Amino acid sequence: MDKTERPGARRRMAFAKWLAEADESSVELPLSRVRARTRRDFLFWSAGALFAAGGFWWLLPDETREHHLTPATRDWLDSLEARLGADRGRRERFLNRVLTLDDDVAEALYSPTRSVRTYSRSEVTPLRNNYNGATPTSAYVPGWTLTISGLSSGRVERLGIADVLGRFARHEQVTRLFCVEGWSAIAWWGGLRFADLLQAYPPTSGARWAQLESSINLDAIGSPDPYYVSIDLPTARHPQTLLATHLSGKPLPVEHGAPLRLLAPMKLGLKNIKAITSIAYSVEAPADYWHERGYSKYDGL
Amino acid sequence: MRIMEKVHPGATRRVVVRHHAVVRLAHWATVPVLLGLVASGLSIYWASPVHQHPVDPTTGSTEYLADLGILISHLLPGTGADPGAWLYDHFGLGTFRLAQALRLHWLLAYLFMTVGLLYAIGLALGGGFKALLPRRSDLAGAFAMLRYYLGVVPARLLRRPWPHPPVKSKYNPLQRIAYLAMPLLGVLAVASGWAMHKPVQLKWLERLFVNYEGARVTHFWTMVAFATFVIPHVVLVIVDGWDTFRSMVTGWSYRIGGRHGQD
Repeated sequence: MDKTERPGARRRMAFAKWLAEADESSVELPLSRVRARTRRDFLFWSAGALFAAGGFWWLLPDETREHHLTPATRDWLDSLEARLGADRGRRERFLNRVLTLDDDVAEALYSPTRSVRTYSRSEVTPLRNNYNGATPTSAYVPGWTLTISGLSSGRVERLGIADVLGRFARHEQVTRLFCVEGWSAIAWWGGLRFADLLQAYPPTSGARWAQLESSINLDAIGSPDPYYVSIDLPTARHPQTLLATHLSGKPLPVEHGAPLRLLAPMKLGLKNIKAITSIAYSVEAPADYWHERGYSKYDGL
Repeated sequence: MRIMEKVHPGATRRVVVRHHAVVRLAHWATVPVLLGLVASGLSIYWASPVHQHPVDPTTGSTEYLADLGILISHLLPGTGADPGAWLYDHFGLGTFRLAQALRLHWLLAYLFMTVGLLYAIGLALGGGFKALLPRRSDLAGAFAMLRYYLGVVPARLLRRPWPHPPVKSKYNPLQRIAYLAMPLLGVLAVASGWAMHKPVQLKWLERLFVNYEGARVTHFWTMVAFATFVIPHVVLVIVDGWDTFRSMVTGWSYRIGGRHGQD
């Protein structure tokens, strides 16, 4: 008996009793009590409904809001929000924190020893050229160099494509490339391991990130629009992370990032930068093109 | 015990406890969360629709949801400037909103999983799941209920009697199937969602749907199934009356002895 008299046990029992489904028999209750509980629960429900509707409106993108309700109602809701302190800046900070949380979950799931699923060459599917802007002409290819900085030697290295192809072993893999838009494609890639480059040119001590940049990238109207991605070094060191030089056994075509692109199949396609012209190692997280445009920073699959 | 206390005959009320607080909370929290998941999900879907077809020479559309939007804007002229985007503008966050839609989808997905977990724990520990388990006689009973439901709205409009098949348990067989299907559908939506979100780290989950495309197709159709459930669900609650709605808010029903003999 004294076991059940311990407060912890009693609380647990009370909780179990509260959770237990009621039987189907009816009970006779004082009308005043029924009314009071009904009133209380409907008040809770209404408060919840108001909170949900307000929260919903607050979280909607500005462009979506423009399409709903009347301008007068929108103005009224905007000023109500401002009075409650639920402004646009706070919404952006809140939603970006959600992105960070999801990135943290992705990073916690990541294992450096987990391999990316590979396919056979017969499973290769057409690969879309999803160059964000215009596809550059091949004029840049002959003069292309790769600049590597942030090295432990303190030097800045410049490699031509012959250096890259001559000095490192070529690895082949057939993996799926996942686009943030939802489509995916299985392709046969060849290239050097990023890990091998890291070993040949070790980064400065304490470096945790690499910024890969393509000065060749163009925007939609064909003007220069340098593209840059941040890659964490554990991802760069993964044996299936390649600096790809070949697609389907042939040198990379311009539309897929000739002569050297990143192939990190455990990251979204947007991290798989084409036509890399520089790699810079750093201690702090570098800027990332799509992160600055509202997407996640980590993008781990 | 106060419950047994006898007061004046006119000042008491006989009630049946229908829905536990955990169930009610999970039910109402799911409403805006699921609505938001569908809205943001549609804007994500727009970026690369699962079900595409060759370009339609007259409309220029390459996918079925755009076709549906074009059809609706034909039936409701003046409701949208871009017919192909009609569905995405009215039920989604709009087109060209991928980054914002993804962010919102993650937030609501985490909320959805939290609510689902709360519901599952409550039902498992409290024994409420037993009312949802299928019974041997459910198939025949479900057909009787389906016949009743299909006729209930016309019968009400024509003021004809339309007797409710007798129900001795908490839910009728069709309700039991539907209310068990919803949490299972939720599990499927979450599983296919994670398979799409982390196909590399959770590759065993991706394999469960054969491949990445399988997870995408499954996720899309769980959304369609949720949307399909909501319409008859809301219609039938309205037809069933105030007591049914109130019981999901307060937990109490004034209908004593189940549903037989009522309606």
